[in-house]
Amino acid sequence: MSKFTGLAIFLAVGILFPLLLPGYLSLAITLLLFASWASAWDVLGGWAGQSSLGHAAFVGLGAYTIALSATRFDLAPWWAVLIGMGLAAALAWAWGSLTFGLRGPYFTLSTIAVAEILRLIAINERWLTGGAQGIFIFSLREPFGLDLFDRQTQYYLALAYTVIVIRIIIGFAKGKFGYQMRAVREDEASAQAAGINPTRVKLQAFMISGALTALGGAIYGVFLSFLEPHDIFFLPLSVQIALTAIIGGRGTIWGPTIGAVLLVFSAELFRNIFAQANLLIYGVLILVVILFMPRGLMGQLEHRIIRRRYARSTRS
Amino acid sequence: MDILTTIIQNLANGLLIGGVYALIGVGLSLIFGVMRVINFAHGDFVVIGMYSALVIYRQLSLDPYLSLLIALPLGFLLGLVLERIILSPLVDAPEDSTLLATLGLALILQNTLLLIFGAEPNSLYVSYATATIKLGPITLSLIQLIAGAVILVVIIGLYLFLTRSEAGKAVRATAQNRLGAELIGINTLAIHSLVFGFGMVLAIAAGIILIPQLFATPAITGPVFTLKAFVVTVLGGLGNIWGAIGGGLLLGVVEVLGASYISNSYRDAYGLVAFLLVLLLRPEGLFGKTVKRV
Repeated sequence: MSKFTGLAIFLAVGILFPLLLPGYLSLAITLLLFASWASAWDVLGGWAGQSSLGHAAFVGLGAYTIALSATRFDLAPWWAVLIGMGLAAALAWAWGSLTFGLRGPYFTLSTIAVAEILRLIAINERWLTGGAQGIFIFSLREPFGLDLFDRQTQYYLALAYTVIVIRIIIGFAKGKFGYQMRAVREDEASAQAAGINPTRVKLQAFMISGALTALGGAIYGVFLSFLEPHDIFFLPLSVQIALTAIIGGRGTIWGPTIGAVLLVFSAELFRNIFAQANLLIYGVLILVVILFMPRGLMGQLEHRIIRRRYARSTRS
Repeated sequence: MDILTTIIQNLANGLLIGGVYALIGVGLSLIFGVMRVINFAHGDFVVIGMYSALVIYRQLSLDPYLSLLIALPLGFLLGLVLERIILSPLVDAPEDSTLLATLGLALILQNTLLLIFGAEPNSLYVSYATATIKLGPITLSLIQLIAGAVILVVIIGLYLFLTRSEAGKAVRATAQNRLGAELIGINTLAIHSLVFGFGMVLAIAAGIILIPQLFATPAITGPVFTLKAFVVTVLGGLGNIWGAIGGGLLLGVVEVLGASYISNSYRDAYGLVAFLLVLLLRPEGLFGKTVKRV
């Protein structure tokens, strides 16, 4: 089995999905976006071990870049996406340069503050962002004759996005950079002794994570086509992204995707019962995971499989 | 003269708001200092205080300040129970785990309150809500003065407990060195429960004295106060209980002055900027003596 078998199966199911269940496209887009955001978060949070609770800032940045460049500057969406990713990487670089001197929980606290400040800017700088009332995307240029407001187009874009993110993470699993990130996560001093520059590795992880999240933010912006700073920059979205990855399993290839499947489906199932209280399920699941399976669903499963394999190999 | 009066008026308002922030921050700092837990549910404990005052007022039509007598003991018990269920199994886990566990607790509390009380803002109207007291040229609101008095009583009580009583000494010993405290026979797990109970009591007291002054919504007010509590404790130095009082007063004054002299719409940002600056430049807090980097 090649390391890409899982991804190939995922892609095949993804391509066939709209033909089988065309009524669930919006749900599927939400699921793909959360799977990819959580996977992108996991580059920094799981592989490099720096938990961020501010990733909504990157979602907002991506979404606002495409909205503003379409409505104010009449710029083509593909340029807007690239600019958004560039801005996100620049923001991650500046943000990380300032805050990576802080360790563990202190870094997490600083990410909340940075994201909140961006939210306040999005609400108050009306000349730029349309302020608290939000901003409409009413027209977009059509790349290769594709109508970006068509749900099916958005679905395939989201699918491509997820495949790209997971492909990058599969690269980390066996690649040099992946090993460097894990070394930094486990022990920065030892990593440094092995010739790794921990700050540079963390910064690169943060920039990759931020840029990939902003790419999803751009798709999300087109999907919503109406952006409100209260929704898109707010702490709950950051928390949702982080918890999806942690519940699924930090530092695993498929963990964040499995977390997204579990959480998006249960949110959908309980929608009528809980209405606005839909984050209740996140709270319950994260407590269960932290108390009983600290590696997350996928991490616990992998751990068990490895142990069983090892036990079998010693027996024979 | 007129400018001077406005400045003094603003300072007084800032200090009165800051007192409430101090009360919330002291609880968070106490929990961090003793348990090494960053409590993401702290703002939601404040909201529990607010809604308990509302429920007691609606059911028993008891004045909110009298409801302190019922809500504080119950809150203490709730704190003990929550610590036992959620945090005591994680006593040796990395700091990241307890942070996530309290984040989960916060989501559960917020959404449970949302299911029970709905999303619309609630407040509690007391007949003397608009009463003011004039002190020379400055005017102070009566409910804010009562709040200030409650805060003084609670903080002096906490100070006496920590410095004079045997249990308080055990709390401080646990904060300094958990292993050392265990070696001289202190049950540090029981101390952890006690401290979490106290943190809950301080937050609930803050919620009750705040509810006549503002509107509360379950899922929004909680995170707002959690953030403010983080700002306060970082300004004062994480784990430095008396520094948190200074941090709270400072945040109150900075918010009021910033809102009146710079821009009201960025009221919440001033504290966050100060928070980032302190975290980056002086992580031991403004009032800390230690030079240990975090």
